[in-house]
Amino acid sequence: MTTLILALLVGAGLFGIGLYGALSQTNLVMIMMGVELMLGGALLNLVAFWRFLHPDAYAGQMFVLIVMTVMAVEMAVGFGVGTARFRARGSVEMEEATELKE
Amino acid sequence: MTVQAGALALFGLAALWFGMAVFRTHSMVRSAFSLLTTMAALGGMFLAMQAEFLGVLQLMMMATEMAIMAIFMMMYMMDPGGLGQMEMTHQKRLSLLAGIVGGLAGLALAVASAWGPVASRVPNPARQTHDLGIELLGRSMLIFETAGVSILVAMIAATTVVISRRHE
Repeated sequence: MTTLILALLVGAGLFGIGLYGALSQTNLVMIMMGVELMLGGALLNLVAFWRFLHPDAYAGQMFVLIVMTVMAVEMAVGFGVGTARFRARGSVEMEEATELKE
Repeated sequence: MTVQAGALALFGLAALWFGMAVFRTHSMVRSAFSLLTTMAALGGMFLAMQAEFLGVLQLMMMATEMAIMAIFMMMYMMDPGGLGQMEMTHQKRLSLLAGIVGGLAGLALAVASAWGPVASRVPNPARQTHDLGIELLGRSMLIFETAGVSILVAMIAATTVVISRRHE
Protein backbone atom coordinates (compact mmCIF):
# COMPACT_ATOMS: atom_id res chain seq x y z
CA MET A 1 0.00 0.00 0.00
CA THR A 2 2.89 2.39 0.82
CA THR A 3 4.28 2.17 -2.70
CA LEU A 4 0.87 2.94 -4.25
CA ILE A 5 0.42 5.96 -1.98
CA LEU A 6 3.98 7.08 -2.76
CA ALA A 7 3.30 7.06 -6.51
CA LEU A 8 -0.04 8.84 -6.03
CA LEU A 9 1.62 11.53 -3.88
CA VAL A 10 4.18 12.25 -6.60
CA GLY A 11 1.33 12.37 -9.15
CA ALA A 12 -0.60 14.86 -6.99
CA GLY A 13 2.54 16.97 -6.55
CA LEU A 14 3.18 17.07 -10.30
CA PHE A 15 -0.45 18.02 -10.93
CA GLY A 16 -0.19 20.92 -8.43
CA ILE A 17 3.08 22.18 -9.94
CA GLY A 18 1.64 21.91 -13.47
CA LEU A 19 -1.53 23.76 -12.46
CA TYR A 20 0.55 26.57 -10.96
CA GLY A 21 2.64 26.77 -14.15
CA ALA A 22 -0.32 26.69 -16.54
CA LEU A 23 -2.05 29.52 -14.67
CA SER A 24 0.94 31.72 -13.85
CA GLN A 25 2.95 31.75 -17.10
CA THR A 26 2.32 34.25 -19.89
CA ASN A 27 4.32 32.46 -22.61
CA LEU A 28 2.40 29.92 -24.71
CA VAL A 29 5.18 27.32 -24.63
CA MET A 30 5.53 27.64 -20.84
CA ILE A 31 1.75 27.20 -20.45
CA MET A 32 2.03 24.04 -22.54
CA MET A 33 4.81 22.85 -20.23
CA GLY A 34 2.42 23.27 -17.27
CA VAL A 35 -0.24 21.21 -19.06
CA GLU A 36 2.36 18.53 -19.87
CA LEU A 37 3.28 18.31 -16.18
CA MET A 38 -0.39 17.86 -15.20
CA LEU A 39 -0.78 15.13 -17.81
CA GLY A 40 2.46 13.56 -16.52
CA GLY A 41 0.89 13.37 -13.05
CA ALA A 42 -2.19 11.70 -14.57
CA LEU A 43 0.03 9.19 -16.42
CA LEU A 44 1.81 8.29 -13.21
CA ASN A 45 -1.49 7.69 -11.38
CA LEU A 46 -2.77 5.48 -14.19
CA VAL A 47 0.37 3.33 -14.22
CA ALA A 48 0.24 3.07 -10.40
CA PHE A 49 -3.43 1.99 -10.50
CA TRP A 50 -2.63 -0.62 -13.13
CA ARG A 51 0.43 -1.94 -11.27
CA PHE A 52 -0.92 -2.04 -7.74
CA LEU A 53 -4.67 -2.56 -8.17
CA HIS A 54 -5.40 -4.30 -11.50
CA PRO A 55 -2.25 -5.73 -13.12
CA ASP A 56 -4.32 -8.14 -15.23
CA ALA A 57 -6.61 -5.45 -16.71
CA TYR A 58 -4.79 -4.03 -19.74
CA ALA A 59 -7.39 -1.30 -20.23
CA GLY A 60 -5.25 0.57 -17.65
CA GLN A 61 -2.20 0.49 -19.95
CA MET A 62 -4.48 1.38 -22.87
CA PHE A 63 -5.60 4.48 -20.96
CA VAL A 64 -1.92 5.47 -20.53
CA LEU A 65 -1.45 5.27 -24.30
CA ILE A 66 -4.50 7.52 -24.78
CA VAL A 67 -3.10 10.14 -22.37
CA MET A 68 0.24 10.00 -24.25
CA THR A 69 -1.74 10.63 -27.45
CA VAL A 70 -3.42 13.63 -25.83
CA MET A 71 0.06 14.98 -24.93
CA ALA A 72 1.25 14.60 -28.54
CA VAL A 73 -1.92 16.21 -29.92
CA GLU A 74 -1.59 19.12 -27.48
CA MET A 75 2.00 19.68 -28.62
CA ALA A 76 1.12 19.55 -32.34
CA VAL A 77 -1.83 21.94 -32.12
CA GLY A 78 -0.10 24.21 -29.57
CA PHE A 79 2.99 24.64 -31.74
CA GLY A 80 0.80 25.16 -34.83
CA VAL A 81 -1.06 27.98 -33.09
CA GLY A 82 2.24 29.31 -31.66
CA THR A 83 3.88 29.41 -35.08
CA ALA A 84 0.85 31.17 -36.65
CA ARG A 85 0.79 33.67 -33.78
CA PHE A 86 4.54 34.30 -33.98
CA ARG A 87 4.31 34.98 -37.73
CA ALA A 88 1.37 37.35 -37.27
CA ARG A 89 2.49 39.25 -34.15
CA GLY A 90 6.13 38.33 -33.59
CA SER A 91 5.46 36.99 -30.11
CA VAL A 92 3.82 34.08 -28.28
CA GLU A 93 3.09 36.12 -25.15
CA MET A 94 -0.51 35.38 -24.17
CA GLU A 95 -0.87 38.69 -22.31
CA GLU A 96 -0.87 40.31 -25.76
CA ALA A 97 -3.43 37.85 -27.17
CA THR A 98 -6.56 39.31 -25.60
CA GLU A 99 -8.27 39.49 -29.02
CA LEU A 100 -8.49 35.68 -28.97
CA LYS A 101 -11.20 36.09 -26.33
CA GLU A 102 -13.45 37.98 -28.73
CA MET B 1 11.52 -0.20 2.60
CA THR B 2 11.61 -2.40 -0.50
CA VAL B 3 13.84 -1.73 -3.48
CA GLN B 4 10.73 -0.79 -5.49
CA ALA B 5 9.61 1.81 -2.93
CA GLY B 6 13.17 3.18 -2.76
CA ALA B 7 13.35 3.53 -6.56
CA LEU B 8 9.89 5.14 -6.65
CA ALA B 9 10.89 7.62 -3.93
CA LEU B 10 14.16 8.48 -5.68
CA PHE B 11 12.63 8.99 -9.14
CA GLY B 12 9.59 10.70 -7.58
CA LEU B 13 11.77 13.25 -5.77
CA ALA B 14 13.70 13.88 -9.00
CA ALA B 15 10.41 14.35 -10.91
CA LEU B 16 9.07 16.84 -8.34
CA TRP B 17 12.37 18.73 -8.02
CA PHE B 18 12.84 19.18 -11.76
CA GLY B 19 9.10 19.88 -12.16
CA MET B 20 9.54 22.86 -9.84
CA ALA B 21 12.76 23.85 -11.63
CA VAL B 22 10.75 24.26 -14.88
CA PHE B 23 9.10 27.40 -13.47
CA ARG B 24 11.94 28.64 -11.28
CA THR B 25 14.43 29.55 -13.97
CA HIS B 26 14.42 32.47 -16.41
CA SER B 27 16.16 30.33 -19.05
CA MET B 28 13.70 28.71 -21.45
CA VAL B 29 16.27 26.12 -22.46
CA ARG B 30 16.78 25.11 -18.83
CA SER B 31 13.00 24.92 -18.43
CA ALA B 32 12.70 22.58 -21.41
CA PHE B 33 15.50 20.33 -20.17
CA SER B 34 14.11 20.34 -16.61
CA LEU B 35 10.79 19.14 -18.04
CA LEU B 36 12.68 16.50 -20.03
CA THR B 37 14.32 15.31 -16.78
CA THR B 38 10.92 15.21 -15.03
CA MET B 39 9.48 13.09 -17.84
CA ALA B 40 12.55 10.83 -17.80
CA ALA B 41 12.12 10.41 -14.02
CA LEU B 42 8.48 9.44 -14.68
CA GLY B 43 9.77 6.86 -17.17
CA GLY B 44 12.06 5.59 -14.39
CA MET B 45 9.05 5.31 -12.07
CA PHE B 46 7.16 3.31 -14.73
CA LEU B 47 10.12 0.95 -14.98
CA ALA B 48 10.25 0.70 -11.17
CA MET B 49 6.56 -0.28 -11.29
CA GLN B 50 7.46 -3.06 -13.76
CA ALA B 51 5.55 -1.48 -16.65
CA GLU B 52 8.53 -1.94 -18.97
CA PHE B 53 6.84 -1.22 -22.30
CA LEU B 54 5.26 1.99 -21.01
CA GLY B 55 8.50 3.05 -19.31
CA VAL B 56 10.56 2.71 -22.47
CA LEU B 57 7.79 4.35 -24.52
CA GLN B 58 7.69 7.27 -22.08
CA LEU B 59 11.48 7.74 -22.25
CA MET B 60 11.57 7.61 -26.05
CA MET B 61 8.51 9.81 -26.63
CA MET B 62 9.37 12.44 -24.08
CA ALA B 63 13.03 12.72 -25.10
CA THR B 64 11.89 13.59 -28.62
CA GLU B 65 8.99 15.76 -27.53
CA MET B 66 11.01 17.87 -25.10
CA ALA B 67 13.91 18.27 -27.53
CA ILE B 68 11.39 19.68 -30.07
CA MET B 69 9.98 21.91 -27.32
CA ALA B 70 13.48 23.28 -26.57
CA ILE B 71 13.95 24.11 -30.28
CA PHE B 72 10.60 25.97 -30.40
CA MET B 73 11.53 27.84 -27.23
CA MET B 74 14.70 29.10 -28.85
CA MET B 75 12.80 30.03 -32.02
CA TYR B 76 10.06 32.02 -30.30
CA MET B 77 11.84 33.70 -27.41
CA MET B 78 13.67 36.99 -27.55
CA ASP B 79 15.76 35.87 -24.58
CA PRO B 80 15.95 32.06 -24.59
CA GLY B 81 18.97 31.98 -22.28
CA GLY B 82 17.23 34.10 -19.64
CA LEU B 83 20.10 36.59 -19.39
CA GLY B 84 17.72 39.56 -19.53
CA GLN B 85 15.73 38.25 -16.51
CA MET B 86 12.43 38.92 -18.31
CA GLU B 87 9.32 38.59 -16.15
CA MET B 88 6.96 36.13 -17.80
CA THR B 89 4.43 35.47 -15.07
CA HIS B 90 1.10 36.95 -14.03
CA GLN B 91 -1.50 36.36 -11.29
CA LYS B 92 1.20 34.60 -9.30
CA ARG B 93 -0.59 34.51 -5.94
CA LEU B 94 -3.81 33.10 -7.42
CA SER B 95 -1.86 30.51 -9.43
CA LEU B 96 0.13 29.46 -6.38
CA LEU B 97 -3.09 29.10 -4.40
CA ALA B 98 -4.71 27.05 -7.18
CA GLY B 99 -1.60 24.84 -7.47
CA ILE B 100 -1.44 24.23 -3.72
CA VAL B 101 -5.19 23.52 -3.45
CA GLY B 102 -5.08 21.19 -6.50
CA GLY B 103 -2.03 19.35 -5.17
CA LEU B 104 -3.45 19.05 -1.65
CA ALA B 105 -6.79 17.76 -2.99
CA GLY B 106 -4.86 15.06 -4.87
CA LEU B 107 -2.82 14.23 -1.74
CA ALA B 108 -5.96 14.03 0.40
CA LEU B 109 -7.66 11.70 -2.12
CA ALA B 110 -4.56 9.50 -2.31
CA VAL B 111 -4.24 9.17 1.45
CA ALA B 112 -7.91 9.06 2.49
CA SER B 113 -9.26 6.63 -0.14
CA ALA B 114 -9.60 2.93 0.61
CA TRP B 115 -7.74 1.43 -2.33
CA GLY B 116 -8.35 -2.21 -1.48
CA PRO B 117 -5.82 -5.04 -1.67
CA VAL B 118 -2.57 -4.33 -3.47
CA ALA B 119 -1.33 -6.81 -6.09
CA SER B 120 2.07 -8.18 -5.18
CA ARG B 121 3.00 -9.58 -8.62
CA VAL B 122 2.57 -8.49 -12.22
CA PRO B 123 2.77 -10.57 -15.40
CA ASN B 124 6.29 -10.78 -16.88
CA PRO B 125 7.25 -8.13 -19.49
CA ALA B 126 6.78 -10.41 -22.50
CA ARG B 127 3.33 -11.42 -21.26
CA GLN B 128 2.43 -7.77 -20.63
CA THR B 129 3.39 -6.69 -24.16
CA HIS B 130 1.54 -9.66 -25.66
CA ASP B 131 -1.62 -9.00 -23.63
CA LEU B 132 -1.50 -5.26 -24.33
CA GLY B 133 -1.30 -6.05 -28.05
CA ILE B 134 -4.33 -8.32 -27.75
CA GLU B 135 -6.16 -5.55 -25.84
CA LEU B 136 -5.24 -2.94 -28.48
CA LEU B 137 -6.39 -5.07 -31.39
CA GLY B 138 -9.36 -6.59 -29.58
CA ARG B 139 -11.66 -4.95 -27.08
CA SER B 140 -10.02 -1.48 -27.27
CA MET B 141 -9.47 -1.41 -31.04
CA LEU B 142 -11.99 1.39 -31.68
CA ILE B 143 -10.38 3.59 -28.99
CA PHE B 144 -6.91 2.82 -30.38
CA GLU B 145 -7.99 3.69 -33.93
CA THR B 146 -9.65 6.87 -32.65
CA ALA B 147 -6.37 7.90 -31.02
CA GLY B 148 -4.52 7.34 -34.31
CA VAL B 149 -7.07 9.36 -36.28
CA SER B 150 -6.95 12.13 -33.63
CA ILE B 151 -3.18 12.46 -34.09
CA LEU B 152 -3.61 12.59 -37.87
CA VAL B 153 -6.33 15.27 -37.57
CA ALA B 154 -4.14 17.28 -35.15
CA MET B 155 -1.20 17.12 -37.58
CA ILE B 156 -3.38 18.27 -40.50
CA ALA B 157 -4.98 21.01 -38.36
CA ALA B 158 -1.61 22.30 -37.14
CA THR B 159 -0.16 22.34 -40.66
CA THR B 160 -3.27 24.06 -42.04
CA VAL B 161 -3.17 26.78 -39.37
CA VAL B 162 0.47 27.53 -40.16
CA ILE B 163 0.16 27.39 -43.97
CA SER B 164 -2.99 29.53 -44.18
CA ARG B 165 -1.29 32.26 -42.12
CA ARG B 166 1.73 32.27 -44.45
CA HIS B 167 -0.46 32.85 -47.53
CA GLU B 168 -2.17 35.92 -46.05
